Amino acid sequence: MNKEKTALITDDEIFLRMNLAERIQHFLLIGTFFILIVTGLPVFLHNIKFLKPLFSLEQSFYIRGIVHRVAAVVMILNLIWHILYSIFSKRGRDNFKEMIPKYKDIRDAFEIFWHHAGLTRFLNRMGIFKNFFTKHPYWLFESSPRYGRYNFIEKFEYWAVGWGSFVMIVSGFFMWNVELSLSLFPLWVHDIFIILHGYEAILAFLAVIIWHMYNVHLNSEVFPMSKIWLNGKITGKELRVLHPLEYQKVLEERKNARESS
Amino acid sequence: MKKNWIIVVLFLVLCVPVSSQTDEDCMICHEDPDLKTSDQKSLYVDYTKYVSSIHGEAGFSCTDCHADLSGFEDFPHPEKLEPVTCRTCHEKAYEEFQKSIHSQAAPEEDCCVVSCKDCHGKHDIKSKDDYDSRVFPLNLPRTCEACHLEKVQTERGGEFIKRYEETIHYKGLEKAGLATSSNCSNCHGAHDVRHVHDPDSQVSRKNIIRTCGTCHVGIERDYLEGVHGKDFVKGLNEIPVCTDCHSEHDITSPKDLSSTVYATKVAEVCSRCHDNEALSRQYGFITARLKTYVNSFHGTASKFGETRVANCASCHGFHDIRPSTDPKSMIHPDNLPETCGNCHPGAGSNFAKGKIHVVSEKATNKWAYFVKTFYIIMIVGIVFVFIAFISVDILYRVVLRRKKT
Repeated sequence: MNKEKTALITDDEIFLRMNLAERIQHFLLIGTFFILIVTGLPVFLHNIKFLKPLFSLEQSFYIRGIVHRVAAVVMILNLIWHILYSIFSKRGRDNFKEMIPKYKDIRDAFEIFWHHAGLTRFLNRMGIFKNFFTKHPYWLFESSPRYGRYNFIEKFEYWAVGWGSFVMIVSGFFMWNVELSLSLFPLWVHDIFIILHGYEAILAFLAVIIWHMYNVHLNSEVFPMSKIWLNGKITGKELRVLHPLEYQKVLEERKNARESS
Repeated sequence: MKKNWIIVVLFLVLCVPVSSQTDEDCMICHEDPDLKTSDQKSLYVDYTKYVSSIHGEAGFSCTDCHADLSGFEDFPHPEKLEPVTCRTCHEKAYEEFQKSIHSQAAPEEDCCVVSCKDCHGKHDIKSKDDYDSRVFPLNLPRTCEACHLEKVQTERGGEFIKRYEETIHYKGLEKAGLATSSNCSNCHGAHDVRHVHDPDSQVSRKNIIRTCGTCHVGIERDYLEGVHGKDFVKGLNEIPVCTDCHSEHDITSPKDLSSTVYATKVAEVCSRCHDNEALSRQYGFITARLKTYVNSFHGTASKFGETRVANCASCHGFHDIRPSTDPKSMIHPDNLPETCGNCHPGAGSNFAKGKIHVVSEKATNKWAYFVKTFYIIMIVGIVFVFIAFISVDILYRVVLRRKKT
């Protein structure tokens, strides 16, 4: 049995987690996101003095605007590509299905938090609520949740980008076309677009800096950096440890294929 | 010293006395470039220059001005003569001069700090319209600067006076050759130049509007029609006059980066008064104009040096600024589409449906306030959750590592 299993998926087998198209999409997203942050955030945070020299040259504020809008257009095109890719390619559709949030994701987030925190296990060791914990061992969170292709962290990030893009594109479009905006809406609505654009940018910036950077760079499991975004590869072992449900799925598929052949 | 004295006396002795002296008689001695008084002051007179001077051309002779030598025959005449007085002919100029700061007695002498000859010259005086005159408009700055750059200690110093050479007025004189462009005397007055703090000075707060308005007629008219001008004529002292916005000696074109009213600097100039709490209470206007402007896109962009965005003057006007209640005001609600339309073509009435200077979103735009509050709570909340997850993750790894070792 065990022998058969290792024959189906070896620890050093290479799986493709991000294909070339997905990596290019990710690259473009990084590039445009970075440019948009650099050219946009100083305008929102204009009260911070050290940001001022960024646009100290003549015309630099004007050029900043053009760069910002060009980056925005590239980001939108990238988004359109991603949407078409998710509709018309088999792999895109499969990935998208895996991305759909489920009740399990909330549960996973809850479980991993308490699993990591280990508070209940600590209480149990101290003999507090011992009866409760023997009756309900679930609350000890002894094992970490088992993730599929995308865990709740990745799903959250993916949909945050989706929501953020929507807010930024709509508000940004009207900020770009002030005359159009003000022919449709009163000034106070336009003011809301400006507020939305700024605060959503801060939110996205913090999410990337804190959450994404920790998960893919700084945490000791991947430090200094997960290389998936560069080569798209993940080993059989990583698949088994990090994405056990996907691992199982692949295993089932191969088992079925072997049996039928 | 002694030797020189002998030479002088010898020369004077050699002068032949004649009964009715002419200019030629004077020039017998005074055409010698080496003729000097006992204390080394040159007594040389360049007669050709005198002849081409305005007085020479008019046929005045030496004794018309050096009147105490008129009819004098016993040459050589005494070394010390009466000072020449221009008053005899130039009574009006003399009277004006008596009121000026220049006419004050010098500490050690009984006459004035500056006398006629210091500005006009001596024997070579030309008409003020002559290109070579020291008081010809294009030459006057040099004449005044001769003393005012270093010799005279003024309140603001020579640097301040020197800055005139950077101004649009000086460039008008020097580069464009405009004799009508303002030189020193156009603003400060000529014979009756007074101290800037003298209320009767042409450049005092009371008179500056009139002085600038001498040339800038249309601007004086606009200013007097605007809210500032209407208060100015009431004699209120805090009301901004020309120099408060445009600066004094260093007035440059508003298109010049160094101008105090350059597009990106206007906001600072206006806010000097309009963000002043005491003035706002006294005159009943709202403060926080700069802050609210800078928080808008116009202000932010302007702060970063963008000149194409609206500054105070773009919306409020320049010299004839009026309150929004005035139907002629650029920011009267009825006129906003036109005012905004200067930059935003096709601006409609929607431009007026909202606030530009937003002091409090809570009071003026409830939805904006809601969105902002929502986002702030969400950002704080989400960051808190991130940090919580990261902390327990790190905690778990640390505990795990300790268990292993």
